[in-house]
Amino acid sequence: MNEPKVAIAVVCAALLIPAQREIAAQVASKIEAGQYMVNDGGLPISALRLAPTVQFEFPYATVKARGAAFLTDQQLQLADGIVSGTFTSPTVYGVHAEMIGNASRAIDDRSLSTDQVDVQTRVHLRFNERGGIWVGGGVARPWRIGAFSAADITDAGGWAKLGSRTAKFGTATLTTTFTNFAFSKIASVHDSVSAELSCSTAASVVANRIPAPLRTETVGGGVCERSSRFGDLEGSVHWEIGVVELSGQMGRRFGDSYDVTADSRKWSSAMATVWLTDRIAIVGGGGRQPALPLRGLPARTFGMAGLELAYWPMSNRAVPVSLPHAPLVRSFEMKPGLGEMQKIVIHVSGVETVDVMGDFSDWSPLVVSRRGRDLWELSIPLSPGLHQINVRVDGGQWKAPPGMPTMRDSFGGEVGLIGVSPDKTSH
Amino acid sequence: MTHHLRRGFRASVVAASLLLASTLSAQDGDPLSKLDTNNRYAFDLILDSASAAGIPTRPLISKALEGIAKKVDNKKIVDVVRLLFVRLKTVHSVLGGVDEQELYAGATLLEAGAKPAQLELFRPRQKGRTDITAFIVWTDFLQRGIPNEEASSAISKLWRDGVDDATFQSLWTNVKGDISQGLNPGTALQNRIRETPGRASPQAPGKPPEGQENQSSR
Repeated sequence: MNEPKVAIAVVCAALLIPAQREIAAQVASKIEAGQYMVNDGGLPISALRLAPTVQFEFPYATVKARGAAFLTDQQLQLADGIVSGTFTSPTVYGVHAEMIGNASRAIDDRSLSTDQVDVQTRVHLRFNERGGIWVGGGVARPWRIGAFSAADITDAGGWAKLGSRTAKFGTATLTTTFTNFAFSKIASVHDSVSAELSCSTAASVVANRIPAPLRTETVGGGVCERSSRFGDLEGSVHWEIGVVELSGQMGRRFGDSYDVTADSRKWSSAMATVWLTDRIAIVGGGGRQPALPLRGLPARTFGMAGLELAYWPMSNRAVPVSLPHAPLVRSFEMKPGLGEMQKIVIHVSGVETVDVMGDFSDWSPLVVSRRGRDLWELSIPLSPGLHQINVRVDGGQWKAPPGMPTMRDSFGGEVGLIGVSPDKTSH
Repeated sequence: MTHHLRRGFRASVVAASLLLASTLSAQDGDPLSKLDTNNRYAFDLILDSASAAGIPTRPLISKALEGIAKKVDNKKIVDVVRLLFVRLKTVHSVLGGVDEQELYAGATLLEAGAKPAQLELFRPRQKGRTDITAFIVWTDFLQRGIPNEEASSAISKLWRDGVDDATFQSLWTNVKGDISQGLNPGTALQNRIRETPGRASPQAPGKPPEGQENQSSR
């Protein structure tokens, strides 16, 4: 049990890392704790689940680590862990590219774990800040799943945003994706179940093409390689009304019976989040998840209820969602930090990104990290004296932050003025 | 079996290369290189002139970077930098050898509409006292539509009375609140200045309060 404990300790320690002096990287984190019930065909499990996440944000890149662990029988059992990096290009005429890399480990039980490394690229196109589409592709390499080769992954999707945060019924984001997985299955001719399908007319005996580790396992017999593929069509909705966030998804998997098990043909799930404060929320939900064959995980039914501390969006589809109007910055404060550091604290609702820039950054945009519901923070070094600052949300116009003195910027806009006293107080 | 890996990896490498190229081009090491040749030459001349006149060049470079970040036309950027240089020189001649931050605060105040002669009062001061907060509040008042003479009179009196930064900050907060409630900007300032402590013993403009050190020779 050392491995899970060490992993959990590392992730939890990372949660405590304060913002560094360098303004390039910002740290955000959250932890979710609650009762989690799962049934994947074996014995149903109900256990306390801890799911910490930490994210380092750079201007054009994000590095994220998250994990989950169950507390069962007075022991902590690591369930899964993932480290991922996303590299994003600047947006030109509404188009931007994205490269995503993931390294993950999933532990189905204490004796079986699987690893996977995958790399994907996507090209996004946004329409009028209210919708967009993307196409992408990549490759995933699973380990410890003897029956699978690397998989080619292609995906495409679209999203649309309806309503607004100030509207009676809030705002809803609808997303549809189709993801195709193409890979090879390896089966021994002595495997009476797999061989019947794998070594039929559609397959070929390719013993000499099998990598050494697999061939070693099938010495003395033939093995077959069979091209497999399946596609996932999934629709999801994320609805925000006041302090309540609802999300749900439904999906259907296409493929022949050899590649898709009956319990993974259809799935649906729903989650609800009710915010008690900027940083604390009650979360609950449940549903059905399909099998993840490349990661060796079976289909499962799950339910959970718990608390979430701190928050920022963790969309695994990287949909660039934004609002067309941005008069939403409710407050903008400067608070003294360590040394010459000043912490910018912004309350703004219904936006996906917040950036600031000023003389302190040589007018390069700095990404502000989401730290709670409508709460965004950034630590920057500010020497005593006069500083100018602009803020923008969702990549829109640069504006002077509210609640601070302003002046014209000579370029047709406005900037906010920050005076930092030698005693570090800002005004 | 490995052809899937090779094909996907090759596609990823191509896409990643394009991504890197676009990002690296966007993150050019010298942002000022985005100025075209003629305007870069004009900009460098302004920097040379500033150095020769003892004016700090950092505010000028910062203003150019701001214009580039806001995707302003090159010529407009150079024009704005040139105007800033002129204002910095003016403030330098009025306030004397103050530091870069105060110089820049004075220049922003001139840009907002204050007159150079109105800054002369701020030349003498107590040791360690800075006019940055006063200038910031004054600049904002002008931005909010308060007539320059009224703003100048109010800020100058408070400065002469030796009020601290917190008093200036409090005045700004109150006036801003009154204006947002619909009060006439000039009236809002007049009302608030009457109840601001420290204006009981106004002195003649240009004369430092007793006990204050004249640092004009800095």
